[in-house]
Amino acid sequence: MGLARTLTMRAITLIAVLILVVFFMVIILGATGTSDKILQAMVNEEVMMLRQSLAKTIKDPQELERVINIRRQELMEFYGLTKPWYIRLPDMAWRVLTLDLGKARTLKTFAGGNKVSDIVMERLANTIILVTSSTVISAVIGLILGVRIATRVGGILDRISSYFSAISYAIPTWWIGIILILVFAFFFRLFPFGGLYSTPPPTDPFMRFLDMLWHAVLPVTTLTIASVGVWIYTTRTIVLNTAQEDFVNAARARGLPEELVRNRYIIRVAAPPILTNVILGLATSISGAILTETVFNWPGLGRLFYDSILVMDEVVVIALTYIFTLVYVVARFLLEVLYVILDPRVRY
Amino acid sequence: MSVKAEDAFQEFWRLNVSKVGVLFLAILVILSIYVVTSYPLDFGVRYWNNPSYWADYPKSAPPSWVNYFSDRKLPEHYVFSLDKPSNILPTESGKVLLYTFKLDFQADKPPTFLSFTLENVTYYSQPLIVKLDVKRPDEKSIELYRFVVPAPYLNESPPYRRFYDQPKRISLTGDMTVASTLARFLLREYNVSMKPSEINSIGQHTVIFSVPNQNKQFNVLKGEYWFTLSIETYDNRDYVGRVKLVVGGDVYGFMGTDSLGRDLSIGLLFGFPIALFIGIVTSTITTLFGAGLGIVSGYIGGRLDEVIQRTADFVNNIPLLPLLIFLAFILGQNIWVLVFLLVAFGWPTLTIVVRSMVLQLKSGQFIEAAIALGAPRWWIMFKHIFPQVAPFIFAQLIFFTPTFILLEAALSFLGLGDPTIPTWGQILEYGFRSGGIYVGLWWWIIPPGLLIIWTAVTFVLIALGMEPVVNPRLRRMK
Repeated sequence: MGLARTLTMRAITLIAVLILVVFFMVIILGATGTSDKILQAMVNEEVMMLRQSLAKTIKDPQELERVINIRRQELMEFYGLTKPWYIRLPDMAWRVLTLDLGKARTLKTFAGGNKVSDIVMERLANTIILVTSSTVISAVIGLILGVRIATRVGGILDRISSYFSAISYAIPTWWIGIILILVFAFFFRLFPFGGLYSTPPPTDPFMRFLDMLWHAVLPVTTLTIASVGVWIYTTRTIVLNTAQEDFVNAARARGLPEELVRNRYIIRVAAPPILTNVILGLATSISGAILTETVFNWPGLGRLFYDSILVMDEVVVIALTYIFTLVYVVARFLLEVLYVILDPRVRY
Repeated sequence: MSVKAEDAFQEFWRLNVSKVGVLFLAILVILSIYVVTSYPLDFGVRYWNNPSYWADYPKSAPPSWVNYFSDRKLPEHYVFSLDKPSNILPTESGKVLLYTFKLDFQADKPPTFLSFTLENVTYYSQPLIVKLDVKRPDEKSIELYRFVVPAPYLNESPPYRRFYDQPKRISLTGDMTVASTLARFLLREYNVSMKPSEINSIGQHTVIFSVPNQNKQFNVLKGEYWFTLSIETYDNRDYVGRVKLVVGGDVYGFMGTDSLGRDLSIGLLFGFPIALFIGIVTSTITTLFGAGLGIVSGYIGGRLDEVIQRTADFVNNIPLLPLLIFLAFILGQNIWVLVFLLVAFGWPTLTIVVRSMVLQLKSGQFIEAAIALGAPRWWIMFKHIFPQVAPFIFAQLIFFTPTFILLEAALSFLGLGDPTIPTWGQILEYGFRSGGIYVGLWWWIIPPGLLIIWTAVTFVLIALGMEPVVNPRLRRMK
């Protein structure tokens, strides 16, 4: 009972965040007149199609114009363009929530379609692959090194890691990516400059997978370098604090083996606060992904963001802002579930 | 909790990180002051983003010190500029102004282009005749170019002013007349027969600076070149403002140039005050705003507290960069919009922390005493609570600064920087977008990133140094 209640509360809060963000976006779009532009483009699109199909049946140009004008009026009415933007707010918000934003101006899906929702959705997986794999790698490295360093506080490794984590706070992720390209792609020719597959991509599915791995090495390394310092440092600090607690001393005093004390008394207790830090760092990972994908031409949502800014495709920018918030909210919820599993105290 | 300023400073100065941080900051500030006092305000629009200003600079040239690391010396870039003629010869009807330029050419590769420029020309009777000759190290001379300043228009009366608004730039490279002249020169001196179009494709400058063999291969001729620009005048009042000769090089300056020929050292220098401005101004406003809300929220409490805390939770819970991109894209790329957005999304963390600190202070006896003495609420917040949290707020101000510098750089890199103000992020963005990293133009890619990191590290170091001051618990632990 307690578990379901806690999770429902978290879900409601996060959904509220999502809806508020969407409303905020729509208000900005309405107040700047951008939403008028988008809806007008949708009306024009339909009118154009209508004109093409009617031109075959209605030969009289004046009659054709009249019919089209009536239809245009109807469409304006339907899309709410005859009303001021603040009346249309809920309607526009619903459009954003369901990604019903019409067609992109210049950007296309890999197959050549131009429906915004298709363009965005087909790239979602690529972003998730990138972010997830780099997070898992940093987590594994961070946890192993962090715990190890916590047992030897003040050692060389400890000092290096704390400097590294302070410096990594000051290094732009994307610049690391650029430097990796310069060194490993340009000078040593070890890895590709970017993209998801070689051109042409290998036909054999297994070779194709290896080809993708080869392309993923540099972007994943970039994201890992950017986040692993913080992982190591927080793990070290939290483990260190836990290790000084009385119950740990008591366990040691009872003569329990060191390994058991570490795994069951220290790490188990330190896990929830470490996870809290991961949750707080989630937004940073998403930003890192946007920029890293851009640098490596990785065909995910982040690179699409860059492309849509370059060609000024505002519907795609809107869709992406929403999708990123959605991805963030979903990821956050999954982590909260994990948190509840790790920390029994939250359940009651 | 409250610390005397002097003790606090001593505590801060004890650490090496603080000293290094303050030294770095001093360098940043000095460079920024230099830029602010010596650069024009409209530097971005008038110079940096104005390609014609950089026409005479070599494109994508590495810094000139790369020559120290290689056996094959690349040609340096030479710009000769003269305001006064080097010599004046009288003639029957007027005089000839002579501008002489000496170039000691020692590179293993010919220059990349050759051009000259005339500025601010005035004449009274006949149009001036301009001639360019070169005498090479092998004592051979070539008359390279002949040009007549545009004649008076219909109804125009003297003085006839030419090339005042837009200097006249004549590129010998790519000029077919020069190519024909050089074809005759090659045939006459070396008995090498080449079509002008062939010369045009290998470059007029290559022919001028080298000796051909019978296989039409050109070897660089090292030594002293004398270029003479003679301008024939017909009236004593005739005047030429400035004459420039540019011998295009493959290396340039201390930092090299980008693909538009812009001198990167100039652009990178301009980035200093901008980065400091964005970092410090945004951080200051954000900290004051966030801390102010935190104090009010914590001290006043009640419904106001609820509203502020819920809003802070909300803003804290949204992924920042996507929304910033969205807003910068829709609202336009302007540095003030950017500062506003960074403040609008940066305040909540501090509000939440300061509020919890204020809640603890609120029950203190000194507050009770102030209330008992009838002090108004704003007085208590300003005079009693603010000084207590001020050291913490100040440390946060420093701590936040690199975040904003990096965010600005990130947005600039995505193409959302203010186009009228060049920043390090924008230099990197252009280097990335125009493919500089794919052809290995490292001098374009590495320095702006290092400068961003250096500036951010400066503030990180100072923040590290301030930690024991603000958080006395750490002091005891050491």
